[in-house]
Amino acid sequence: MNRKFAAAGGLAIVATLSLAACSGGTSETADPGASAAPVTLTLSGWSLETTPEFQTLADGFEKETGNKVELVEYDPAEYNTLLTADLGAGAAPDIITQKEVKYVSTLVAGGQLLDVSDIEIPDSVSGAKSYEVDGTQYGTPYRQDSWVLFYNKDLFDAAGVDYPDGSWTWDDYDEAAKALTTADHYGTYEHRWQSTTQGFASAQEDGDIFSGDFEYFADSYERRLAREAEGDQIDFATSSANSPTYQGEFGKQHAAMLPMGSWYVATLISQQKSGEADTFNWGFAPIPQVDDSTTSEPVTFGDPTGFGINAAIDPAKTAAAKAFLEYAMSDDAASTLAGIGITPANTSDVVSDAFFSVEGVPTDDLSKFAWSTHDTKPENPTSDETAAVQTILGTMHTEILMKSKSVEQAIADAEAAFKAL
Amino acid sequence: MTSATADRIGIPDTSGTDHTPRRRSKLVLRNTLLGWSFILPNFIGFAIITLIPVVTLFYVALTDFNIFGKGEFIGLENFPKLFADPLFQRSVVNTFYYAVMHVPLTIVVSLGLALLLNTKLRGIAFFRTAAFFPYITSIVAIALVWNLLFSPDYGPINEFLRFIGIQNPPGWLTSQEWAMPSIVIISTWRDMGYYMILFLAGLQTVPRELYEAARVDGTNAWQRFWNVTLPGIRPTMFLVTVLLTIASFKIFDLIIVLSPGGTAAPNQATVVLSQFIYQKGFIESKFGYASAAAVVLFAICLGATVIQFYINKKRSA
Repeated sequence: MNRKFAAAGGLAIVATLSLAACSGGTSETADPGASAAPVTLTLSGWSLETTPEFQTLADGFEKETGNKVELVEYDPAEYNTLLTADLGAGAAPDIITQKEVKYVSTLVAGGQLLDVSDIEIPDSVSGAKSYEVDGTQYGTPYRQDSWVLFYNKDLFDAAGVDYPDGSWTWDDYDEAAKALTTADHYGTYEHRWQSTTQGFASAQEDGDIFSGDFEYFADSYERRLAREAEGDQIDFATSSANSPTYQGEFGKQHAAMLPMGSWYVATLISQQKSGEADTFNWGFAPIPQVDDSTTSEPVTFGDPTGFGINAAIDPAKTAAAKAFLEYAMSDDAASTLAGIGITPANTSDVVSDAFFSVEGVPTDDLSKFAWSTHDTKPENPTSDETAAVQTILGTMHTEILMKSKSVEQAIADAEAAFKAL
Repeated sequence: MTSATADRIGIPDTSGTDHTPRRRSKLVLRNTLLGWSFILPNFIGFAIITLIPVVTLFYVALTDFNIFGKGEFIGLENFPKLFADPLFQRSVVNTFYYAVMHVPLTIVVSLGLALLLNTKLRGIAFFRTAAFFPYITSIVAIALVWNLLFSPDYGPINEFLRFIGIQNPPGWLTSQEWAMPSIVIISTWRDMGYYMILFLAGLQTVPRELYEAARVDGTNAWQRFWNVTLPGIRPTMFLVTVLLTIASFKIFDLIIVLSPGGTAAPNQATVVLSQFIYQKGFIESKFGYASAAAVVLFAICLGATVIQFYINKKRSA
């Protein structure tokens, strides 16, 4: 009885293991035959239901060239880890979406991306430099987000506060937050990511995260701590414990203002349509500046999102893959993307018109100005050490906002950790 | 085979015939092969999935590999850099802090539970199962529920503390001083069922006659516990301590889901060695460096276990 059980158990385990070894990875149906035959490419994406851009590009590409693009979904929070695991196993898709610029150098150092220097990048496309490592182009951008200030016009009216007019400084922002706070909602909501505070500081104070000198963050953090102390925005500790989403906080009108990346436009429109978010009037303004010297071209930060080609791609498909990268930067694709509320990397006039003719996008002059006119500095400059430095700064961010260290102490410790790198 | 013959197996035969050495070695060989064939299936799995990666770990710790295996051999360079790294030092301190709090607390709680549930009441199986539930609960559910319970402003725990008069209840998972103790509490709650089962098994091996003899001698409950129960379950206690210590040094999942500030960056109050390894290896792609830290963790676990074996050996002598 025992032996039979053991034997059966052993067989079952062997069977399961071999099944597990056979499954997994993506199924590619590359068409054999002449190069003119349609090719099927695989593309990595995330949150496919709420992020329609991948399907949009895939459909447009198929219409134009007849080549199919299949999407492979990854969890957005663990995208890079999962993708790395697939790359290590040799089971990653043909076209790899670069969700975060800070991983580009890791992938390049690991020899995972194909050299795409022969792809022509149009002049109206910005952000290509983020995919350049040692002079070689390893990816192309299709989207370039910048951070702007979303604001709830209805809540502003109710509080009798003037809308942002494009000339706000951080002092104006602090005052508005105070005036807008009521018992029902906060004046503003700043998300837990380190970029919400550090991105602006680095861009507007001309800070260089690779210099090892982090003093320039002090002012932004002092302001944020002051706003939290006054109760104008939710404090970091409570936010960490309850994990509110920024879409929920602004969409359900728990806060009147929200500094966020321009990708939120598409999400807010679709959530207002589906009822997930309340229906209210909103707009977006340039992010508050340090002073009014930069009003004509507000300084903000943002990173592009782009595509790279898996170095292990089947050589027969390389031409089609490069064609896809080119397509994603074209006016056609950019207009289609703009049509669903995405901010493409290609911001020619055609594209701009397409963006503002989408139903639900605020068409006031200020929103148009905020969208098209900005000096966007990269949040993650491409380098070997980006991931390590951002980790140190992330720890500093948590320490300051959890109030476990004073601002000066946290900055000093971060500088020491940077030296130890 | 008679028992007389069985007794002679393995013992040198001094009867002086020529056949004995060959017969003895053949028997030994047969026994050895028999033994190996029994453990081979398990050993193959262990070798492929555990032993070979661990051996490879020692090699990778001497390189600067990134996550894709590209890099070169750099000898012992990783280690001085590691020991000078402030985040590493912090991780080691936090790991020991966690272990020192978690191990005694869990032993006391699970032993207490086992003593309580070591009766023949009707329905006792239900209580034993209920105590085991936390161990099999999803870690995400644990994080969500305990975050709510520990919420400094709205959570029931702080409400209760304020009710009984404590004006400034601690910030629990949101405060730097109380984050690690909070995680220890949650971890004990989770593990108590598992170690309770082990203790229950151990308690049931203590002969009943010893308790009766102790009662006859006029001992009270505490004396019975100290003089009969504890020595009686020493093997189980040893097992539980070793398992618990190693598990405490390797703690990872609870830290990741419960650390203040989330998983974005390691938090100074709660970063432990395995989180440091994960951060360096998978987020910053420094596989060689992370492997060096993993070697240190291995050494710590090994050292602690050797010490415990030594103590146990002394006690059982």
